[in-house]
Amino acid sequence: MIKNEIEFILNDNLIKIKDIDTNVTVLNYLRSNKKLTGTKEGCASGDCGACTAVTAELNNNKLTYKSINTCITFLYNLHGKQLITVENIGKDKLHPVQQSMIDNDGSQCGFCTPGFVMAMFGMYKNKIKPTNNNIDEYLAGNLCRCTGYKSIKNAARKMYSYGRNDKFTKNKKITIKLLKSINKNDVIIDNNKKKFYIPSNLNNLIKETQKLSKFKFLSGGTDLTLEVTKQNKEINSLIYLGNNKDLNYINIKNNYLHVGAATPINDLIPKLKNIYPSFADMFYRYGSIQIRNVATIGGNLASASPIGDCSPALLALNSSLLIQGKIQREVHINKFFKSYRKTTLKNKEFIKEIKIPIFKNCIFKCYKISKRFDDDISSVFVAFLLNLKKNLIIDMNIAFGGMAATPKLASKTQKFLIGKKFNYNNIHISKKIIENDFNPLSDMRASSQYRNIVSQNLLERFYLEVKNNRSETIN
Amino acid sequence: MNNKIKLFSIKKEHESASKHVSGKAKYADDIHEPKNLLHAAIGYSQIAKGKIKSINLKEVAKSEGVIDVITYKDIPGINDVGPVFKGDPIFAKKNIEYFGQPIFSVAATTCELARKALRKAKINYLKEKPILEIKDAIKKKSFVLKTKVIQKGNVNKSIKDSNNTIEGELFSGGQDHFYLEGQIALTIPKEDNNYLIYSSTQHPSETQQIVAKVLKQKFNSINVRIRRIGGGFGGKETQSFIFAAISALLARKTGNPIKLRIDRDDDMIITGKRHDFYYKYKVGFSNKGKINGLDLLLASRCGISPDLSGAINDRAIYHIDNSYFIPNIKLVSYRCKTNTVSNTAFRGFGGPQGMFCIENIIENISKYLNIEASIIRKNNFYQKNKNNITHYNMKVEDNCINEIFKDLLKKSNYKKRKKKIIEFNKKNTILKKGISITPVKFGISFTTTHLNQGGALVHIYTDGSVHLNHGGIEMGQGLMTKIAQIAANELGLSTNEIKITSTDTEKVPNTSASAASASTDINGGAVVNAINKIKNNLALFITKNYKYKGKAIKYKNNKVLFGNKSIDFKKLISLAYLNRISLSSSGFYKTPKIFMNKETLKGRPFLYFSYGAAVSEVIIDTLTGENKLIQVDILHDVGKSINPSIDLGQIEGGFVQGLGWLTTEQVSWNVNGNLTTHSPSTYKIPVSKDIPEKFNVNIYEKGFNIEKTVNRSKAVGEPPLMLALSTFMALKNAVNNNNLKAPATPENILMALQE
Ligand SMILES: Cc1cc2nc3c(=O)[nH]c(=O)nc-3n(C[C@H](O)[C@H](O)[C@H](O)COP(=O)(O)OP(=O)(O)OC[C@H]3O[C@@H](n4cnc5c(N)ncnc54)[C@H](O)[C@@H]3O)c2cc1C
Ligand code: FES
Ligand code: FES
Repeated sequence: MIKNEIEFILNDNLIKIKDIDTNVTVLNYLRSNKKLTGTKEGCASGDCGACTAVTAELNNNKLTYKSINTCITFLYNLHGKQLITVENIGKDKLHPVQQSMIDNDGSQCGFCTPGFVMAMFGMYKNKIKPTNNNIDEYLAGNLCRCTGYKSIKNAARKMYSYGRNDKFTKNKKITIKLLKSINKNDVIIDNNKKKFYIPSNLNNLIKETQKLSKFKFLSGGTDLTLEVTKQNKEINSLIYLGNNKDLNYINIKNNYLHVGAATPINDLIPKLKNIYPSFADMFYRYGSIQIRNVATIGGNLASASPIGDCSPALLALNSSLLIQGKIQREVHINKFFKSYRKTTLKNKEFIKEIKIPIFKNCIFKCYKISKRFDDDISSVFVAFLLNLKKNLIIDMNIAFGGMAATPKLASKTQKFLIGKKFNYNNIHISKKIIENDFNPLSDMRASSQYRNIVSQNLLERFYLEVKNNRSETIN
Repeated sequence: MNNKIKLFSIKKEHESASKHVSGKAKYADDIHEPKNLLHAAIGYSQIAKGKIKSINLKEVAKSEGVIDVITYKDIPGINDVGPVFKGDPIFAKKNIEYFGQPIFSVAATTCELARKALRKAKINYLKEKPILEIKDAIKKKSFVLKTKVIQKGNVNKSIKDSNNTIEGELFSGGQDHFYLEGQIALTIPKEDNNYLIYSSTQHPSETQQIVAKVLKQKFNSINVRIRRIGGGFGGKETQSFIFAAISALLARKTGNPIKLRIDRDDDMIITGKRHDFYYKYKVGFSNKGKINGLDLLLASRCGISPDLSGAINDRAIYHIDNSYFIPNIKLVSYRCKTNTVSNTAFRGFGGPQGMFCIENIIENISKYLNIEASIIRKNNFYQKNKNNITHYNMKVEDNCINEIFKDLLKKSNYKKRKKKIIEFNKKNTILKKGISITPVKFGISFTTTHLNQGGALVHIYTDGSVHLNHGGIEMGQGLMTKIAQIAANELGLSTNEIKITSTDTEKVPNTSASAASASTDINGGAVVNAINKIKNNLALFITKNYKYKGKAIKYKNNKVLFGNKSIDFKKLISLAYLNRISLSSSGFYKTPKIFMNKETLKGRPFLYFSYGAAVSEVIIDTLTGENKLIQVDILHDVGKSINPSIDLGQIEGGFVQGLGWLTTEQVSWNVNGNLTTHSPSTYKIPVSKDIPEKFNVNIYEKGFNIEKTVNRSKAVGEPPLMLALSTFMALKNAVNNNNLKAPATPENILMALQE
């Protein structure tokens, strides 16, 4: 049975929706339809966090809480979840995070405050230890122009002292019951010729995809939704992959890491930590917690941005993609990007899985350079994979983002280095060769000159780090 | 100590804190929407300079949901929102002067439909070559205002006679305000063609005046009101006018209420920013680094119109000395016209740009002489009894920079840390550290003398509860909290008894912008004045009613005390009412002592100065230019604080905003003059991680205002921003090259390292 409405819990109430336009964001729904104006719009592009709310999802009978940017989340993405807004958490009695914000003078103009409160609420519900690093991680997606953050960080540091249990802990059972009551079948919303399809499993997805026309796949929506909020476009029909359990998995098999294309990046980080720690570290700087809670590798690759951070890392790692249409095919990532923002994906094909080889005897490192350390787009990104035997370079991949129209290997440099000794002299020579590999652009993020110098210097950094077996960075 | 000071140093959180955290605090966009509300959007120029060849808005008008479209032709009054000088058209007629210049506006049934309709406009342009660089403007003598020159002593001679001279160029960057609440106005038509405008503005009175002129109506037909705004920082001092004006024009034309809330990107494109500056200097100094003479050219990017650029550049001139006595000076100030958005007020109002210059010069002198920069700074400070006259002839009477500097050097362990850093830098080739201590002396008062006035309206109701309004805007600075404390203190009540409602041109007229850090001084002064008038009425009543012959009447702990009597405040008030005593009054305040000559710029533009100092320690990565702020120590003078937690918030927030200006925040245009950093994805203000783990902020305990401000407190809004100069100087110190440009992005750092 296919349903024609979505169901979600808004704060305490189960809500069913089918008539609202499929391009409406959660933020606009809250503010315009529900007159819940506590959640603010600061940018409508996922960068400021003023619109932060928290979702709760049911996983193995447990509630998982995630902060999200409601400005770049479509309303229909909420199917099967609970949405918690700032008005609700302290309805009867101020929530610990709210009281802590007041007592630590965490608000000035107050416009960013609901967003911060909800980001902290997300942290609180996940029982994150309030260390300086963790606070920075959980607040990186929230901008405040007034306070200078010190007072807000103090509030986060002290929030647990106001009690570790809140009304959500108390009401857990009721919420779980309510979430369980929501029907898990496929949903197709069909209004004004715009469709929003939520497949519940892979088979249905493959089948229905063939029937629909003029649609776009939607995963986290952290890229696609901006077409609506920033370019005022209309997206006719959407197929939502975000809820699909068959696309949301992480397995390790036969020396491969298999990642379902719709797996949120945040879920991947803990697994990556053991395999490629440098990759995992980079992901902590990928957008913000709100972005990573929903953003996927599939979406990052499919958007084919020359400055996407996953692509060069996956390129260096010789990854491949399982692409699903009527049939499934496997494509090496090197063949995936065709030109600026173009991929080999054909009509109605989607990425099902990313297959990442686990190289046990290689060294993998990646570096992200941006104006601001947290939540910024790379000006230059580089990933290295090095197979070194007795100081001889057996094999090496050097993949760059931000240096060309697509993510790209530094093939001339690689060619020069492979078979040579891994020593300062060779690295020094290869620094000059990189210049022949790329002819980067100048834009608002960096000049071509800077990109050239940094790409050379990062090669040197990689060399020094491997050589000295320690990293020498400012952080 | 008297009870006044005791009351003021108790902790009092922001009056709206509990509403902020629960989403109950209402901003303009949260106001209950009136029936038949329409939403507006603005169509703007896609080129930087040229002429409109043809414009076709038919498809826009036909677009779904669109009710009306307006252009310059629909303006009954003047097509200009320029505050002091003209030059800021609401809609371009034919000439386009910057990328983002508004051309038309639509009203539609929803915000989304209004924005969608804009894209259907067909406008053809005749492109012309824009002036985009300050240096280019100087070459072409393209200025928005007359060049100003200020002189003291004999510069040429003093430089010639100096043992050492250096010369060079410097650059400081622009800055977007990035208030979290974007520009917004909601206009509601009332009877008799009157309009009520909720505008997110720092300046309701001027909004009222300008909208009236645009509509060709009397000032008394326009009412501007707002309870709070989500940040301003100068960006809503004049830049909010155009949005109020357009919403009013559409409300007039359609007869419907109009909300104009613009998209963040459009906000960043349409509105002005902090002026970036170019400086060329020649300085002569002794072997100890004592400055003898400074010959300086200051040129700023004003954009297409004067806006507030006159006063901003004046303030840059007034702060070129920072805390230093410069015996001979010649300063030429160019106010350049460029084909970029008209730049405007931004926290510090030119002061930061002035201080940026002198602090760099000091840093360069230090490098040249190889003497620690803090010593050079000390050697040049204003003194108490000599060397205390500024280049604009004002005597520095309240100097405490020597003490603050000394205290902070000690508190921060500066010398030891400096030594350690020298050691670190010897040992490390890739990572380098730097440290710097810089002072701040910032003049308080509007430099346009007549703006230094404030008004208030106070009512006491018969139950003893108090309602008040004043001319200031609550934008996060805690103004309402401080004013409530002041009123409570004057009446001996708790702040719970004081209600302050929306700032409203119907309540308090002819106000000045909430700017120049002076809002508490002038509005607080006016509130005290109003309360004193009511107290005078009450005193007469007490004299008559209780046959009290004395003069002393005290208001304390909800009681009124005189002679040996003690009466409940509430009881006195209800008695006074029954005896027909007026319990309501307006109040007024004007700042004493100030004057200046507009031509020579000499005089006493400021009532007093606020002081402070900061130490920053940084580390840079010489391979990439990435950098990190390791530690900051601040000691800042707020006089006798009315509310220490609010003042600390201003100091911390001001510092971090300055930090952004000098490090990650880069405003950039492409070769065609299109702004390329128009969203938070490309324009990066500091986030949580950018503040140092060790961030020690202290209020200078001995602070005291020698002028008679409320509680002898000092203004705190702007001055702390300039404390962040210490971070830039520390980075410069780590880079060890004079040519570091601001903002010190990784790129600018790496480029300076290449030289
Ligand atoms: C504030 C912010 C910060 C960001 N920071 C970073 C960053 O640091 N680094 C970075 O690289 N990116 C960043 N991004 C960009 C974006 O978040 C990422 O590219 C993200 O991984 C996209 O994933 P998604 O699931 O949200 O994609 P979506 O928005 O859902 O989709 C993106 C595109 O891919 C298509 N698509 C989605 N899934 C599939 C699939 N399985 N098969 C085929 N097509 C598919 C969609 O149709 C759409 O065209 C940022 C974005 C924002 C808003
Ligand atoms: S409004 Fe800025 S992130 Fe959503
Ligand atoms: S309190 Fe104003 S933006 Fe954070």
